[in-house]
Order: sequence, then C-alpha cells, then structure tokens
Amino acid sequence: MVSAARILTYQGIPVWRHVQVIQWAAQIISSIVVVALVVWFFTNISGAIQEREIPYGFSFLSREYQTPIGEHFLPYESSDTFLYALFVGITNTAIVAVAGVFLATALGIFIGVSRLSTNWIVAKLAMVYIEFFRNVPLLVQLFFWFYIVLELPGVRESIVIADVLYLSNRGFSMPWPKATDYPVALIWLGLAVVAIVAGALVYRWRDRMEERTGQSSYPLIYGLLVAVVIGAAAWLVLSFASGASPFYVSVPEPQGRFGNIVGGFTARAGLLVLLIGLVMYTASFIAEIVRAGIQSVGRGQTEAARALGLSPMNTLRNVTFPQALRVIIPPLISQFLNLTKNSSLGGAVAYSDLFNIAITMTQTAPSVSIFMLIMASYLAMSLTWSLIGNLYNRQIRFVGG
Amino acid sequence: MASRPSSPPEAMLPPRSEVGVIGWLHANLFSNWFNTVLTLVSGAVLVLCLWFGLKWIFLIADWTVIAELGGRFLLGRYNTEAACSGQNCFWRPQAALIMVSLLMGAAWGLQGNRVARTLAWLVAGVSAAFAFLPYNLETMGLDVRVLLLLNLPAVPLGWALARYTPLGTGTRITMLGVAIFFLTLMLMRGLPGIAFLQPVSVVYWGGLALNLILAVGGITLSLPIGVSLALGRRSNLPVVKVLCVFFIEVFRGVPLIALLFMSQTLVPLAFPEDMPQNSLFRAGVVITLFSSAYMAENIRGGLQALHPGQAEAARALGLPGWQTTMLISLPQAIRNVIPAIVGQFIGLFKDTSLVYIIGMLDVVAIGRSFIQSNPEYLANARELFVFLALVFWVFTYGMSYVSGKVEEHLGVGRR
Repeated sequence: MVSAARILTYQGIPVWRHVQVIQWAAQIISSIVVVALVVWFFTNISGAIQEREIPYGFSFLSREYQTPIGEHFLPYESSDTFLYALFVGITNTAIVAVAGVFLATALGIFIGVSRLSTNWIVAKLAMVYIEFFRNVPLLVQLFFWFYIVLELPGVRESIVIADVLYLSNRGFSMPWPKATDYPVALIWLGLAVVAIVAGALVYRWRDRMEERTGQSSYPLIYGLLVAVVIGAAAWLVLSFASGASPFYVSVPEPQGRFGNIVGGFTARAGLLVLLIGLVMYTASFIAEIVRAGIQSVGRGQTEAARALGLSPMNTLRNVTFPQALRVIIPPLISQFLNLTKNSSLGGAVAYSDLFNIAITMTQTAPSVSIFMLIMASYLAMSLTWSLIGNLYNRQIRFVGG
Repeated sequence: MASRPSSPPEAMLPPRSEVGVIGWLHANLFSNWFNTVLTLVSGAVLVLCLWFGLKWIFLIADWTVIAELGGRFLLGRYNTEAACSGQNCFWRPQAALIMVSLLMGAAWGLQGNRVARTLAWLVAGVSAAFAFLPYNLETMGLDVRVLLLLNLPAVPLGWALARYTPLGTGTRITMLGVAIFFLTLMLMRGLPGIAFLQPVSVVYWGGLALNLILAVGGITLSLPIGVSLALGRRSNLPVVKVLCVFFIEVFRGVPLIALLFMSQTLVPLAFPEDMPQNSLFRAGVVITLFSSAYMAENIRGGLQALHPGQAEAARALGLPGWQTTMLISLPQAIRNVIPAIVGQFIGLFKDTSLVYIIGMLDVVAIGRSFIQSNPEYLANARELFVFLALVFWVFTYGMSYVSGKVEEHLGVGRR
C-alpha cells in the first residue's frame, strides 16, 4: 500500500527520470495526440460534408446501379443493386487472385528450381527471367501485354492451336467442363467431396500405421485409390440413373458470320492480360523465395539423410522439402497477398476488378462510403490470406524441440 | 622380387575431361544424360529467344516513337507554354541536374571508391550526352545544351569540395544532399514574386523527373519512419504497440492505388479548406507511408532474428535501453536485412508509376497518353513499353548492384 507518508518522504529517482513514469507519460501523450488528430479529422470531414452538401451514408447500396460492367462471372444486369454490383466486383477480383496464385506458384517453383539447377544454361536463363521481371513495374508489363494482345488477329482470324484453343484480340478460349444437369452435377460434386474426405482419412490411417510399424504402408497410393474409386463409382451410378454424365467437356467453336467463339471457357482480353502480367511478375518473386528456401536447408541435412540410406527422391520429399517449406511459406503468403492487391491495376487494362468498379461508382454514389467499403473488402481479403498462412504455419511449425 | 621405386611416382594429372574448357562443359552442361537433354532443350530455347529477339530489335521494331516522345519522356509537360507562360523554364530542371552531379561527385570524394566514381561519371556523362541529341532543336536551345555539358565539370568540383574543404564529412554531405533536394523542389516549383522563378503548378510536373523526385523523397523518409514503426511494434508499451500494429496492418492490407485515390478525394476533406493543398505532396506522403509499413516489417524481421545475447550483453555492460537499441540491436538488424530494405526501395521506385491513377503524368503515363493521342503509333506501343521497361530496369538493377557492394563493404555473412 502506498501511504501518503511514503509519497511525501519519497527519496528515490527523481520523478521525471523514473522509467515507469516516463513510459506512462509517453503512452498517455501519444494516445491524447492520436485521439485529438482523429477527432480533428472527423470534425473537418463532417463539417465539409455538411457545408458542401456531399452525400454520405450507405442507403445507396439498395439502389439500382444502372451502369454496365465489362466483364462478370456472375450473372449481372444494369438493374441490379449497388450492393450486388460490388459483390460482382469482389468475385471478379477473387477469381483473378485465385487463378493467379495457382499459376504464379507453379511458374515460380519451376523457375526457382531451375535457378538452382547444376545446368549452366538453365540456371542463367532462370536468372535473366527473375532479374528482368522483378525489376520492371507491373504497370509497364501490363501495358506491354495489353498492346501485344491488342495487336493479335481479330476473332475471325483467330490463332487456332490443336483445334481446341483459340487466341485472338478478344481473348483466349479453351475447353472447359460444363454441368449437363445442375442437380445431378451438384450431387456428384457433393459425393466428390465425400470421396476426397474418405481418401484423406485412409491416407492418415496408413500414414499412422507406417509410423507405428516402420513398414511401408503406401499411404498416398491407398488414399488416392479410395478417393478415385468412390468418385468414379458415384459418376457411373449417377450417369446410369439420370441417363447422362454429370459433366461434359465443352469445346470452343467459332459460329456464325462473325466467327464469335461459342462454348468452352473464354478468358476475355482484360482478364487474359491481367493474368499474364500478374503471373509473370509474381512468379519472379516466388522463384527467389523458393530458391532461398531450398538453400536455407543445411547441406548436413541432405548428407545425413543419404547416409541413413534414404533415396534421393525420399530425401527431397521427407527431409529437404518439409524444412524448406517452413522458410518458404510466410513470404509466399505475403506474395499471394501482393498479387491480390496488385489485381487492383485491372482497370488499366480494361478488366472490371473490385477497385475499378468501386471508383466508377463514386460518380453516382457517396465517395466517402465507397472508400470505406473498398478498404473493408481489401482488408478482409488480406486477413483471409493471413489466416490461411497462419493455419498452415501452425501445421508445419517445429514440434517439440 | 620387384624393387620398390626409390621416389614416389609423379603426381598424376587429372584426366582431360575434368579440367579446362572441356571439364567445365562436362561439369556444367553434360554431366549425365538428363543434364545433356536439359542443355539441348534450354539451348534451343536460348537460340530461339536470341534469334527472334535480335531480329525484332534490329529489323522489325520501329524505334522512332521514342524519338518522337523526346523530352516529354524526361520532364512531362513541364516545358510547355501552359506550364510556364512566356518564359523558358527548361533551365530549372537542368540546374537541378547539375546540383545532383555535384552531389554525386562529393559522394565520390567522400567514399573514394570505384563504385561511387563510376556512378558519378555515369550520371554526369549520360546528362551531358543529351546535349548532343540531334532532334528537338527548337525546344532545346544552345543555353540548355551548355547547361547539360556543365554536368561534367560539376563532378570534379564536388569531389574537390569533399576532399579539400571542411564540407567533406559524412554528416555535412548528407545535409548538402537534403539541401539540394529541397533546392530542386524550389527550383522546379518556382517562387512567387521573383521574375525569373515564375511558379509552375505541380500538375505540370511529369516524366521521369516526377518518378525520381517521388522516389528520392520516399526512400529517404521511409527508412526512419519504418524503423520507428518497427521499434514501436516491439515496444512493451501497449498503447504505442497497438497504434503501430494498426497503422502497419491497414497500410499493408490496402492496394497503394486505393490509398493514392483516397489521398486526392478524401484527405483534402480532413483538413480545413483554407490550408494550402498540394496533390504531389499528398501523393508523396501516401507512397512514403505505404512503403514505411513494409519497411517496418522488414526491420522487425531483422530485429527478431538477432540473438538476444547481444542486447543482454549490452545491458550487462551498463548501456541504458535506448542506447542498447540504437548502438547494438538496430545496426546489426539493419545490416542483416539490407537486401529486403533495398528490395523495398526498388518496390517504392516501381510504385511511383502508380500515380497515373490520380492523373499525374509520370514517365509511364506520358507514354500511354502519347499512344492514345497519336493512334498512328498504336502498332509501336510495344517498342515504347520495352524502352520504358529498360529505363526502370537500369535504375532498379543499379540499386540492387550498389546494395550488393554495400553488403560486401559491411562484411555481411563474413563476420
């Protein structure tokens, strides 16, 4: 207990040099400054809103947007609401982000491993790729690809590859699975999930067995086999029951006088350019991350594994790669986040991503509210990526020690 | 019984296939069948790339579009009648360039190493070379050409300043650099009331000069701000920590172009109407803060990787907390993450191209708007953007080269 007498007879360090006093003073002063700044900004903003009669609030979200959106994967009409249009924008961004992350990771791993190749030409080619694409602004690369695609032949003179791939200045078309009958397709998708879960359980069971007994129990082969068998059985049963297979492959084909491509999946020019640009750019960063990760595993690890009699393939799979992954994952996740954020450059190459749609909205809706929605959406996306990263990190962190 | 040789046999030479050119080829290209296949395939790719690339560069590509763009590529609309009515403002950026050459020369005099010397002469030499460009005779008069040539004597002058005058200490040259940066801004912006320094609105600033001004300002400020944020995030004061985490995560979670766009529409509302507003300044602040948030995370990584024994030893020797951080932890942490810091500098320089979103005509936006307003050059857009990519590449690659040299100088990985 601090009594009045103790305070009055205090003879320790002078108060202004006491660590705890200084720390508390710093905290109180910084909070006062920040709160004062925030209050000042808000008074100014609300003053400006009232004075200049700037619209605000979120009631516009249920109004009709009345503006076409260039490219959309969800059905969209001009009579849809602002809220739905924003949602269309979010799906557009999410599709680019997910497709880009998969492609960039594949290309990045390929180039990162090539960079470490003992083959001189392969290593140098990978190095030139990395040094070039990493050091040039994404915007310049996007414009470059934009004008390359613009200079491609028109849709009637499409470049045809193997009779199923069509490339023109409208975009790139490829075969794509399509549902024959929606309920049947959905049932099969549900069963496919069941098959994957069953496969995963079997994998785990065999894996535990291998760990317990020390005998090879082929967990991967068993797991895949179970998943494929259940999936195929469901496919066959559903095909017989409904008279047609749940999915068929739709092949793109030119039709009519103007040679428009019908069927398959068409990545229109904007999406194509944005994807090429994002993937080539991000892959160069991922390649460096993969290289650094593999190099971070000490040579002794590989040598010890080989001395214990593991085959080179097993060494890579069970010793080198799991340890490299621990170094690779955190920066890799931040590259995924960067790719997602960089997709906001879509507007520069005529792709309607979330940011592009949202800033178009500021012409007919209160911009202050739109900005809050933009920030909230991107923060939510970045939180999703960090969440995935953290979950994965927890999975692969050091056990024991 | 065979007699033993009286002397050991001569050391056997390695087989011919393991040394020299053949040995190198064998080890690096044809060590086994897989490697041989790789060599053949990648060699074919290389030859094809070179064949089509060189053919495009020398035979197909039409580079006149770059000559046509000319000076706008460096300075945007700065020297147009609208920006600077009734006056020739072209000399102002040239004068700033001479000061930069002087500074580079001073840095060379201070450092005295080959990299600094090469850089100084490179800047001055490239600037002086512009004096001999054959085109643009009407806009680029004799006075401008003479000013450009003055870059060459500026380098030895700066060198002599650093060597033989009391200016030649690290702190003073740094202060000279800061002064030159603000002098450049003042020269470009102009001063009201002085006849020969007529104000030029920032909306007319553009071209590569705009990218460089934003990058230099951002790089200089983002490091100290980033360090403060990183220290704040590791501090044990809860309020400071929460504020820093909030700032870092918000700035890292939102795309820079969204922040830039907001800086032009929302930020002016947050200040009183009668306060002077400058769109370039706001853009610079946003780019700097965005970069600082990333910088803070890099430096935090370096601080985390540092062995706790370093700080403990410093405390045991009696250093107070503040000095432990400034003299022991931070220098080592920064030295260990130099590649990440320079990577962030490069990222900042590349990000300056994003100011197109707020209508500023930086070097990329100038090129794009030139193509859009001159459709006859539509087919030559490729040449233009390849050229722009090379311009950026020269700067960014130069930065990573210098960072490698700095690391070597500081002995990273050797002690």
